[in-house]
Amino acid sequence: MSYQRTTQFSPRRGANWNRNQNTARFASSVKLGPVTHTVLVALMITVLGLIYLTQATRATSYDYETQKVDSQIAELATKKTDLEVESARLTALEAVQSSTVAKTMTKPAETNYAGE
Amino acid sequence: MQLDLRKGSRLRLLAILLAVIMAIFVVRLFYLQVVQHEYYVGLANKEQLKQLVIPAQRGEIYALDGNRPVKLVLNETVYTVFADPKVIEDPDKIIDTIQQVAGGNARPKLDELLAKKETRYQIIATKVTQKQAELIKKEKLKGVGFQKGSQRVYPEGQLAAQTLGFVDGEGNGKYGIEGALNDRLLGKDGLLQSVTDISNVPLTIGDKNINKPAQNGDNLVLTIDRNIQSYTERALAEGMKKSGATHGSAMIVDPNSGKVMAMANLPTYNPGEFGKVADISVFNNGTISSPYEPGSDIKTLTVAAGLDRGVIRPDSTYNNTDSIKVEDRTIGNATKGQTGVITMQHALNYSLNTGMVTIAQRLGDGTRITRAARDTIYEYFHDKLRLGERTGIELANEAKGTIIPPTDVDGGAVRYSNMAFGQGMDVTMVQVCAAFSTIINGGTYYQPTVVAGTMDNNGARFTPATAKPSQQNVISHGTSETVREMIHQARVAFHAAQDKAGYYTGGKTGTSQTLRDGKYVDNETVGTYLGFGGSSARELKYVIMVQVSGENMNLEGGKHAMPIFTDISNWLIDYMKLQPKG
Repeated sequence: MSYQRTTQFSPRRGANWNRNQNTARFASSVKLGPVTHTVLVALMITVLGLIYLTQATRATSYDYETQKVDSQIAELATKKTDLEVESARLTALEAVQSSTVAKTMTKPAETNYAGE
Repeated sequence: MQLDLRKGSRLRLLAILLAVIMAIFVVRLFYLQVVQHEYYVGLANKEQLKQLVIPAQRGEIYALDGNRPVKLVLNETVYTVFADPKVIEDPDKIIDTIQQVAGGNARPKLDELLAKKETRYQIIATKVTQKQAELIKKEKLKGVGFQKGSQRVYPEGQLAAQTLGFVDGEGNGKYGIEGALNDRLLGKDGLLQSVTDISNVPLTIGDKNINKPAQNGDNLVLTIDRNIQSYTERALAEGMKKSGATHGSAMIVDPNSGKVMAMANLPTYNPGEFGKVADISVFNNGTISSPYEPGSDIKTLTVAAGLDRGVIRPDSTYNNTDSIKVEDRTIGNATKGQTGVITMQHALNYSLNTGMVTIAQRLGDGTRITRAARDTIYEYFHDKLRLGERTGIELANEAKGTIIPPTDVDGGAVRYSNMAFGQGMDVTMVQVCAAFSTIINGGTYYQPTVVAGTMDNNGARFTPATAKPSQQNVISHGTSETVREMIHQARVAFHAAQDKAGYYTGGKTGTSQTLRDGKYVDNETVGTYLGFGGSSARELKYVIMVQVSGENMNLEGGKHAMPIFTDISNWLIDYMKLQPKG
């Protein structure tokens, strides 16, 4: 009398195993303790802080440059307005009328029109 | 291994003490950082965060030079120089430098100011220009500082002073266009909020920075032509000198747009030195702020109303007896002797009051100035030609004047008979000019304006102002042509020789009595002249109105105002390069 197995059993290792896959877990030989972890985190924070400070200082140095350029623009704008005022004074009617050129002008004897 | 602290041991006590101290720290920090968070953030911001106002530049004002805008009012950077008497080291050097460089802008008694060691701030010079400030800075005077400011500059001096107005010490516009359009000229200050360093240099760090740029005020371009304005002021001054008048006003308007080309008032002042003015009445623009009885100039409007209603024609006649009765009053002519049956043209030429009262009567039942006649006159004078109403010109302190309606208890036949020749009413020159322009330009009322447009910040691009509202067919085109010709004839009859040949000019004199305490006085009259000119009847280019007056002086329109009109009119023909077509 022979018995035939009706249920297929598969081992647990076989269920999680695929081709070309290691079934053994990798374990590093270097062990980091909690103190090392803390130091590393502190170092990372320090580095990040330094990066932030560097960038912030760099941005601030640009602020000084911007301020310098702004001052120059303001100074030039003031000079431009002063020149405009001077120009307006020189071309004012009174100044023109009392100029030597105006003083030598004479009234025309007659006026002829192009349409005549 | 477990740390076992025995009850009552010193180590256990130390641990409890430390725990208590830590708890105190935690509570205190919680209070400072959570409960008092806003308060300390506020304190920190107060220290680090600065709010700087970016001042808006007040808009500049341009006039026209022909068609080209030129600057009439500018802004100049000026400095107030101050000293800290506690810090200064060499007061003699400071006094010498300031007096040499700032000159008249240095304050008097500098030695006394600098000797006040108990103070920290003494102004030693004001309105110092950029160049002067640089010279002072070169001397490196310890304890001397500068405050930047701005002031208005008027390169043309007194030109168009009342039209411009001025800016007071607090930066507010007063009178003229500075007063009327102060909000447009002011602009809006900007805001710079930023974390700053010790020297107040704004830094980009922080999350509360605001940079809102200032919006400069509008640069306004006036319709005033500086050459016409200058000549008008000169002609008015010369005319007043000849007549002895102490007050005078003149204005020139384009009758086809309402644009004011000149507005002159004498006596006048320099807006840059408004503080030195002794009599503040010179700030007023007489052409818009001083209502007066216009007198015979208004006869042109009465004639226009009569023509438009079809009750008269230029050749319509009436019997002139040099007086006419209205209810219980008898009205006489100023010019006597033109008696008999005469035409309306004749009545206008000689400025006869009887002719105008006759027109008023014909607007009624022919013999009386009925309610219907009064309604018609009011409709033309007030509703259509807008006398007694502000024109809306962009200048401060425009007066309204008074036209009494027929519904008023004082609006009876006698009042309206007087109004027919320009008495019993108060109007301004600008109202009369606008009304007169309407009856000669074809019948369109243009609101008077002094603003031609705006200029961009670089002073390169001109944007014209939107056209002011106008009203067409105030009187018919035919009426306008007829009344224009009648006014032309009124001038030609007496003054043709004074005008340049070949041009079309017209005008009407006005001599009005002055009211003192509600009664007409005999020893003071105001002389006016109102006229137009151009190449031909259909190409009128200008309306000129002149008014002269003086206390206890009898000034006449024909004698004292008309020559000023003629002078300006003949000059304008050349200036505008008009070609003769007549």
